[in-house]
Amino acid sequence: MMPPQTAGAMTFDSPPSHPKLWLDAVNEWFTTVDHKRIGMLYIGYALVFLLIAGLEAAVMRIQLAVPNNHFVSPQVFNRMFTMHGTTMVFFVGMPILFGFGNYLIPLMIGARDMAFPRLNAFSFWISAFGGLLLYFSFIGGDGLYGAGTAPDVGWFAYAPLTAKLFSPGHSTDYWILGVFLSGIGSVGTALNIVTTIVCMRCKGMTMARMPLLPWLYLVTSAMVFIAIGPLTAAQMMLGFDRFLGAHFFDVQAGGSAVLWMHFFWIFGHPEVYILVLPAFAFANEIIPVFSRKPIFGYSAMVGATVLIGFISLGVWAHHMFTVGLGPAGNTFFTLATMIISVPTGIKIFNWLATLWGGKIRFATPMIFSIAFLFQFLIAGLTGIMLSAAPFDWQLGNSYFVVAHFHFVLVGAILYMIFAAFYYWFPKMSGKMLSETLGKWHFWLFTIGFHLTFDFMHIPGLMGMPRRIYTYEADRGWAVWNMIESIGMIFQAAAILIFVWNVVRSYRHGEEAGPDPWDAWTLEWSTASPPPHYNFAEEPVVHSRRPLWDLKHPQAPDSDYE
Amino acid sequence: MDWEGKVNAVQEPGKGMHAEHTASLHLPAPTVWPMVLGLGITLIAAGLVTNETISVLGLVLSSMAAVGWFRNVLPREKQEQITVPVSAEAAAQASAQPFRSPHTPVLVRPAYSFVSGIEAGLAGGAAMAIIAIVFSWIKFHSLWYGINLLAAGSFIGWTDAPDSFLSQFHPQGLLAALAIHALVSVLVGLLYGAMLPIFPRKSLLTAGLIAPLLWSALACSMMKVVSPILSERMNWWWFVLSQVAYGLVAGAVINLRVKVRSAEFQALPFATRAGLHTDAKIGKDEGRR
Ligand SMILES: [Cu+2]
Repeated sequence: MMPPQTAGAMTFDSPPSHPKLWLDAVNEWFTTVDHKRIGMLYIGYALVFLLIAGLEAAVMRIQLAVPNNHFVSPQVFNRMFTMHGTTMVFFVGMPILFGFGNYLIPLMIGARDMAFPRLNAFSFWISAFGGLLLYFSFIGGDGLYGAGTAPDVGWFAYAPLTAKLFSPGHSTDYWILGVFLSGIGSVGTALNIVTTIVCMRCKGMTMARMPLLPWLYLVTSAMVFIAIGPLTAAQMMLGFDRFLGAHFFDVQAGGSAVLWMHFFWIFGHPEVYILVLPAFAFANEIIPVFSRKPIFGYSAMVGATVLIGFISLGVWAHHMFTVGLGPAGNTFFTLATMIISVPTGIKIFNWLATLWGGKIRFATPMIFSIAFLFQFLIAGLTGIMLSAAPFDWQLGNSYFVVAHFHFVLVGAILYMIFAAFYYWFPKMSGKMLSETLGKWHFWLFTIGFHLTFDFMHIPGLMGMPRRIYTYEADRGWAVWNMIESIGMIFQAAAILIFVWNVVRSYRHGEEAGPDPWDAWTLEWSTASPPPHYNFAEEPVVHSRRPLWDLKHPQAPDSDYE
Repeated sequence: MDWEGKVNAVQEPGKGMHAEHTASLHLPAPTVWPMVLGLGITLIAAGLVTNETISVLGLVLSSMAAVGWFRNVLPREKQEQITVPVSAEAAAQASAQPFRSPHTPVLVRPAYSFVSGIEAGLAGGAAMAIIAIVFSWIKFHSLWYGINLLAAGSFIGWTDAPDSFLSQFHPQGLLAALAIHALVSVLVGLLYGAMLPIFPRKSLLTAGLIAPLLWSALACSMMKVVSPILSERMNWWWFVLSQVAYGLVAGAVINLRVKVRSAEFQALPFATRAGLHTDAKIGKDEGRR
């Protein structure tokens, strides 16, 4: 007699609102035009792809750990390095940086949203769907009726390997379309960021009082306008070649394979700076707060950023020294590349000068930033080495190059992304990330990073080419490759700790409060997480550090500006 | 307590945050169409590597999304109203100057009116005619040269007529020139009447300089086809000058009628200024759905 009644009561009581609540949440995220939510969508999406692309890297490291290995087939290996590179650049790096930009820029300039909220949502979704389309190639790469294969032509997809003759089926088409769609989103978001920064700053926030993060995002976004165009154009030309039988890159029919290289690297080199400038931006916010000093040389930082933006548009052919550019080309691109080290050096000196004499707090965001400084310096030094054309003839396309750019992409950019995560997660969620787990994350990842990428320079110098599937034992590369692969285990462990930290802290983390770091920019003046409208009343600022002024009315910055 | 006081209140939760005054503000309403458009375009692309039907589906979704997105922002952006806690001062300020939400009916006649456009066109045309006559007098000591030159386009026999012929009075020339000039003047006047209210800022510059220059450039490129004789013998400096005169007078007439240069007018929402939306509808269909 009990069961039917309770069952009835249960079904009646157990609120039908539960599934509805869940659907409501999905609906809210699918229809949101709030810059904070779109920012978090970007970041969450990028983190998922970070794990996927990390797994692909792990497959490669297992394959290369010992000589004559056949852990995966050569075909799978090619797909792994192609998808790893493409994913990391277009579906991890770009979205995570746009995510932080989306979240932080309106808050930092005292605005209620981005200039074009609906374009913002569209840009996210088209980039996201582009990534899904790219990964659908694992199922549908040869066309729906063949066995699926992912793209396998490398992340820069050199011609003529991408011609229909050498890359039959649709795998390369998936690469073209997926990246093409993400490019539409990138341009949309860049447009949004520029307009927001130019038009929506709060009262009193002149360009000279704007925090450095929006400044650097302004330059990055301007570079997106210039860089994405050539890539999109080249991809359409390649699409014409493959779908309509055009001959842009078909050498035998009078096309040019080198043309593709030019197009790709006119995009590709600025892209490196598009990714690294936001990392610099995070450092510009984090290093002063944890040194308890304002940033040293604000205007020099802005100037150096603009210079980097300009110069980086004119160095692309240093990726093509081995093509044989002739003496004029070699000289120009060597010098142009070397000159970039001047504004970059200015930045490093300014960061060091900010640290100098400061009351440094070694919280997790800060230790990631300090590691970033050292690692970015090393990346810069190997970069200058590679910028010398004769040196590049020796080491171009070797593991030395792979080690160099992973120092940039991981040692500098990923480290600052981690720093940013530890710094702004409290703002986004209202909860602190665990410092203990953060320190574990940092040390394990740093040990792993240096095991993998320091030692990667050596087989490169010994002549190990990048993208090689396997190698003979008598080459002397085995020891170094084994060390690199062991480093990968440390990095993977660190990432798992990071994921665990995020999940656990989100549930049981310490309450953050509006301003856990005692910081100075406007995002810390509102609640954590900020209300939908950001600021109930529009802020008014009088200096570069509005919250400093509020906390120290006796000695406000505005007296000295 | 201003913004700065507010920050301190936020930093010490529990202090000053309750017993607050409130104000309301507007944020863009959520919408699903940007996502649908992204999905649609992706499916169009995906159809290239799977099956054409996927592209068709993508095209349908994209079109639906485009229409949906359009209707989300036109005639008026859909917004949601949010009540926020504010300080006493801000609330007092808000009540002193009644908050004008975009939903408050605004008592202004719809900006666009045919009559003002026609009037502006005729007045501007008259100003232009005066300049043309002055030009004829200075260059050819004749009142009729400009008039005949304009009319020459419609008389095949006049194509190679000498200047002396064009300087004499011809009744059919006057009639043809009047017809051409009145028609074009009224058409352009209607255009001004529609355009100036939509872009009321810097209306003097738009009406008096930018539009005449654009128009002159357009005329310059088309005149060879429309009226070769006019393009050959016309003095372009005087032509631009007459266009500027037209623009200034037409713009002034429209301003008399619609007051486009007043601050009140410029504060009106775009849809009202563009004539997409009349007052009657404002106040209904608020927020989302
Ligand atoms: Cu480069």
